[in-house]
Amino acid sequence: MKTSRLASALLVAYGIAVLAFLYLPLVSVGLASVSKARYLSFPIRRYNTEWYGEALASDTVQGLLWISLKVAGIVTVSSMVIGFLGALAFARYSWRFRKPFQKLILLPIFFPQTVLGLALLMWFNALGIVPSWKTAIVAHLVWIAPIATLIVSIRAFGFDPALEEAARDMGATQWQVLREVTIPLLMPGVVSAGLFAFLLSWGNFPLSLFTTGADSTLPEWLFAKMISGYSPLVPTVGMLTVAGSAGMVAAGLILAWALRRLRPTT
Amino acid sequence: MSDASPILRINALTKTFDDFTALHGIDLDVAEGEFLAIVGPSGSGKTTLIRLLVGMDDPTDGAIWLRDQRIDVIPANRRPTCMVFQSLALFPHRTVGQNIEFPLKLRGVAAKARKDRALELLDLLRLPRDYYAKRIQQCSGGEKQRVALARALAFDPEILFFDEPLSALDYRLRKTLEKELKDLHRRTGKTFIYITHSLEEAMVMSDRIAIMRAGRFEQIAPAEEIYARPVSPFVAEFMGEVNFLPLRAGMVAGAALSSAAQAALAGQGGTLVLRPESLRLNPQAADLTLTGTVAAAYLLGSRMQYRIDSPAGELTVEVLREDAVAGGIGAPVTLGCDLAALHLIAEARDAAA
Repeated sequence: MKTSRLASALLVAYGIAVLAFLYLPLVSVGLASVSKARYLSFPIRRYNTEWYGEALASDTVQGLLWISLKVAGIVTVSSMVIGFLGALAFARYSWRFRKPFQKLILLPIFFPQTVLGLALLMWFNALGIVPSWKTAIVAHLVWIAPIATLIVSIRAFGFDPALEEAARDMGATQWQVLREVTIPLLMPGVVSAGLFAFLLSWGNFPLSLFTTGADSTLPEWLFAKMISGYSPLVPTVGMLTVAGSAGMVAAGLILAWALRRLRPTT
Repeated sequence: MSDASPILRINALTKTFDDFTALHGIDLDVAEGEFLAIVGPSGSGKTTLIRLLVGMDDPTDGAIWLRDQRIDVIPANRRPTCMVFQSLALFPHRTVGQNIEFPLKLRGVAAKARKDRALELLDLLRLPRDYYAKRIQQCSGGEKQRVALARALAFDPEILFFDEPLSALDYRLRKTLEKELKDLHRRTGKTFIYITHSLEEAMVMSDRIAIMRAGRFEQIAPAEEIYARPVSPFVAEFMGEVNFLPLRAGMVAGAALSSAAQAALAGQGGTLVLRPESLRLNPQAADLTLTGTVAAAYLLGSRMQYRIDSPAGELTVEVLREDAVAGGIGAPVTLGCDLAALHLIAEARDAAA
């Protein structure tokens, strides 16, 4: 549809406004991390990057980074496995309790995370489990695995069941059908689910707050330091966290590109 | 069908889903090398039958024999048959060559032999050899059909089943592929069992047609026989445009019969089946004669079709364009046909409705 010049200008202005709304807060954190002043004020008079060096050299930050990576990494791999198997049950096979399963598996997504965190903490206490980064993995999985299942299920719903039947008809065993047809076709969904799982776990605060016990993840530490003990190290670590997310998105895009390259070509 | 023992035998095959019976104890023999089309309206049980034949579903009762081996108790992946699916079910993550080689790979055939066979099949299906490395998404609709056929033939199955593989194609491509499929059947000598709801497809390609209705075979015979001598009004209507004339005590209301026709139909009752092309306009002489007026006229390429209002009801007539009625709509006409064109079904038409 052809648009008038005024409509076109309004659309550009709207686009810029939306992008500014989304990204300006992040830009302000980035600017705060390179400002020499203790608190951010404009215009920035003196810049320095020494907080980045300090953050990377800090044992505390490295410890936090390691815990966050461990939690997000294990949640990612577990979510991919659970999401794949869950999607098979959710979308590929007919079984007796499939319909209630389809509803119940998604329910945790809609729970407020603070309530979910509190409930899990109470369970851990009742079971005599001391909260740590390991219990945070369980908590993250309760919320993230359903999302991963949903993502893989969308992919699973999208492919023709006749593909599996055709493989079987041509002589494939159940395992061969899974290996030769189902897994390769669901793989883009599994990779997407893994990417989402990492990003949701990496940046999660409410569940971690309730369930890490004496351990701490990067988002928890950022919150704690904002409440007391603020220094430019806080926005610097914040930016490093964002860099971690961006790195993961980049890795996901590279993996998707590599998967496409591995596919047959002329 | 030849007298030789059949390659496929179905005995009292029944399939029920809860309270619904999709197949009512059907029997069928298929000769080796035969091209059998199974035709029927939606819900007649065609797809249920083919799914039982290939092993995607288990029958509730009855047996399926492939020569001397009972195959309904064998899992789908161990049956020496193959199916071309309605959606073709080509693997999008594999090349044309990898798709064709897939059943051979499952059987542990060496890579070199697999490739040789795939290229041989590309030749057979008249696809260029460089299609071996092509992506499925880069193939046209017709090329995909040929790849699916090549894949189905790869491991040399005893019987090839087809589940409406041409239904999603446009008319011209469908007509081309119908002929190619018939030609492929002749060149391979394989037994083809072809499910379709298109009567035209079935008539062009098959040696015999089995008409299904509500989980039963209504009639199994060569196309010409089913067309000319349908066993029921349902089959007659399913096989194309048809006129039904009620026959009571050897008389057709509103029609004049020759003495030969009166003698042939004397005392009989039922429904006379009369194809539109068997009726002649303003004939010099005929065994059955009716009068009427033209209610509508349709041009069908080289032929004209007329709807005629007559005392026996509305009739359809098809003639060559050069025999078109002068005067157009409302013109009075006399219709007639020979005794040989009349086929009597004992069943009244209403019973089949």
